[in-house]
Amino acid sequence: MRGRGLWLDLLAAALFVGLLAALPGILRGAYGQASVSYLALGIRAVGLAVLALSWDLVARTGQLSLAHAAFYGAGGYAAAVLLRLTDAPVWAGIPLAGVVAAALALALGGATLRLYGIYFAIGTLAFAEVLKTVVKSTPFAITGGSVGTNLPPLFRPQFVAGAMERWEVAYLRNQGYFLVYLGLLALAILVSVLVQRSRLRHAFTAVRTNEWVAGVMGVNPARTKLVAFVISSAIVGMLGAIEAHRFGSVNPDATFSVHTTVLALVTPIFGGLYTTVGPILAALVLSGVEETLKRTLSDGYLVAYGVVLVVSILFMPRGVMGLFRSLARRRRARAAVGAVAPGGRDA
Amino acid sequence: MDLSLLPQALVSGVLASGLYALVAVGLALAIGVIGIVNFAHGEFFMIGAFLAYQLFVSFGFDPLLSILFVAPVLFLIGAALYASTIRFVLKAPELNQMLLTFGIGIILQNLALMIWGGDPRSIGGVPYRAVGLQVGGVSVGLVPLGSFVISVLLVGGLYLVLARTPLGRAMRAVAQNRVGAGLVGLEVNRVYLVAFGLSALLAGIGGVMIAVIQSPTPTVGLAFTLKAFAIVVLAGLGNIRGIVSAAMVVALAESLVATMVPNGDALRNAVFFAIILGTLVYRSWRRA
Amino acid sequence: MPEPILRAEGLSRSFGGLKAVQDVSFSVEAGEVFAIIGPNGAGKTTTLDLLSGLLEPSSGRVLLGGVDVTRQPTYRRCHLGLGRAFQVVQPFPEMTVEENLMVGALFGKPGAPATEAARRVEAALERTGLSHLREAPVEDLNLLQEKRLEIARALATEPKVLLLDEVMAGLRPAEAAQAVELVKQVNAEGVTVVFIEHVMPVVRDLAHRVLVMDHGRELARGTYAEVTADERVVRAYLGDPDPEEA
Repeated sequence: MRGRGLWLDLLAAALFVGLLAALPGILRGAYGQASVSYLALGIRAVGLAVLALSWDLVARTGQLSLAHAAFYGAGGYAAAVLLRLTDAPVWAGIPLAGVVAAALALALGGATLRLYGIYFAIGTLAFAEVLKTVVKSTPFAITGGSVGTNLPPLFRPQFVAGAMERWEVAYLRNQGYFLVYLGLLALAILVSVLVQRSRLRHAFTAVRTNEWVAGVMGVNPARTKLVAFVISSAIVGMLGAIEAHRFGSVNPDATFSVHTTVLALVTPIFGGLYTTVGPILAALVLSGVEETLKRTLSDGYLVAYGVVLVVSILFMPRGVMGLFRSLARRRRARAAVGAVAPGGRDA
Repeated sequence: MDLSLLPQALVSGVLASGLYALVAVGLALAIGVIGIVNFAHGEFFMIGAFLAYQLFVSFGFDPLLSILFVAPVLFLIGAALYASTIRFVLKAPELNQMLLTFGIGIILQNLALMIWGGDPRSIGGVPYRAVGLQVGGVSVGLVPLGSFVISVLLVGGLYLVLARTPLGRAMRAVAQNRVGAGLVGLEVNRVYLVAFGLSALLAGIGGVMIAVIQSPTPTVGLAFTLKAFAIVVLAGLGNIRGIVSAAMVVALAESLVATMVPNGDALRNAVFFAIILGTLVYRSWRRA
Repeated sequence: MPEPILRAEGLSRSFGGLKAVQDVSFSVEAGEVFAIIGPNGAGKTTTLDLLSGLLEPSSGRVLLGGVDVTRQPTYRRCHLGLGRAFQVVQPFPEMTVEENLMVGALFGKPGAPATEAARRVEAALERTGLSHLREAPVEDLNLLQEKRLEIARALATEPKVLLLDEVMAGLRPAEAAQAVELVKQVNAEGVTVVFIEHVMPVVRDLAHRVLVMDHGRELARGTYAEVTADERVVRAYLGDPDPEEA
């Protein structure tokens, strides 16, 4: 029965991604020039979904990582340094970013294997800040030091007078980025679904619940945690590289900003941890809200994320998805207990 | 490495340790007495700094004077936060608490960003700001010295309160045994409220002082939260008495790295974070 | 003489200055039911933790089926056939009974395909009488059901040796009787059982051999009759009435 669930989920995911892939064309047909900014919003929403899904993956093993920004930044810088120092093709930075971030995660994850809960969180936060400071102090020739460096864009559509309007150049560029982001989202969804529908789900939940009980049942907690950490970081690293190309530059303060970590954790908590739909749903909602807020609040719009987080913890600790699930669970529970002797106590 | 700079580095470190201890002891109080790891602690510090700045700019208040105003305001803010949000997650899993305080920190930091913007603000026109003494080849700024003295008095005062007063005894009792303290009739909730307010107050005063020494931005809160963590972690979570020595170690380490190591000034922040990470990882592997 | 299925050799463990377990040695024969008893603080649970690998010994060895597993992590010992049920049950939340058993069934032995795991879950549910509760969320189980779940989870890993820690705690006499039956049944199917217990009638009923611990050391060993007749054992339970009447 689990097998069927997996294929169903994969089908749904494929449909979802397929629909989104068609979105640029649809927007352009419906809105013309305005589609450029809508697409930009779409890009941010998809990016946030990738962030959220990758953070959720690590959370499934019980690790609340505050180092997400470190891997995001490492990915961005991997691509930047590669292109600054070598003649590698533009796209080569992205897989390299994944590898670099994964290697970093392996190191950090290995070191923090015996850190739990708050200690793990603090340790990862400290790591992120150390990395930022270290990158800031690296020689200018390699990374651009505290100023940072530029990256070439991934897409350079050519304007052909007479064959297209001026805004279509921007559209084509946004469309290109949207599809790349979408590709990464597809990967993130695939990983999330695979974990949820395979034996890994049991391993992750067991380790999250109680690492020692999990060990007693034959689960290798260290390997489980590391697997989640490394895969998650590879995904975030690649996102960092893609975004660096899109923004055109990296610099230590912005690229390693703790904002990334904040977004990465608030989104899935709001949407519902340990699910695939939750983080995606939340990403869509929150980026829409963020867009509105940015127009009115400019500097401190992130305050909304703080509020969302606080409200979620106080009133919806299981997120939006959690509300659905507790309803479903109560239904199931009533059915199961009904099979037992009245009063609910087994003899 | 220029050894002639060593004395200056040591003196600067010692002077800085006072302020660090002040900020850290508030966090230690929150962790030890209430049991909550407050990720927003540095924001109290930041609020104190910006309140002092605003009082200076709007009313010409001398920062020393504004301490008298900032202290009660921060106490109220801390108490209000406790009563409205923190109180409800005390029984929740630790990680929920962490996330809640993290969220509060984000809110406070960004509110400050909205009000004051991201640029550094300094209390520039204070007469005694640039005054310093020369003691045997080492320059001692009046303001750092002053904040050291004030911090020592406050931290010492806190230790006295904890050791001698009924309130302090109540806090220690609650820290050691929550359930037992409640059974004996202590109003645990009220103790928590006061403790949290106090932790905010202490951090806020530290913030006033930093506003004169440096030019803080609203993002300075997170940096000081981490610095406070470094000290608290080094001393051992919940250990209030060890804060002073831990603060000294951390402040000296930072000062030495900044002065003696080439390109050290850029690395000074990394010192704190490295201490946190190193201490945590080292201790975790040793325990087994 | 066949190799004992489980052997502790000179196990010691200190926590700072406290010597929780000092030089404890014993061996357990395949198929027997072996009890570890003793007053509170005697080091019984610590010994069990050392056996399962949740704690590292300060000195001494643990041998499972003749293989030295002292340096092996917990999950490796599980693969080699060592199962453990805890005193305080911690079921995996938000999962059904069946899903809880799945963890052990899937990972108890390396490389188990899904069909094999399903079979193990079925078997474990049957043996512990939980088949009709397979779909129930674990939050809804009562105490006896939880204890059965705990044993079922361990059984799903198909252990050769099962370590039980005070399974009877909190159970009413009727429930305890059922739990005893369950353990007897599991043992009859070939699983060696090592258990810690305070409830003496249960020990008398189940155990082939008994080890008495006090202050981290071995105090006495033998059959139930032998150890309860031992004066030192009676004195160790100082203040308690004659254990028979507990």
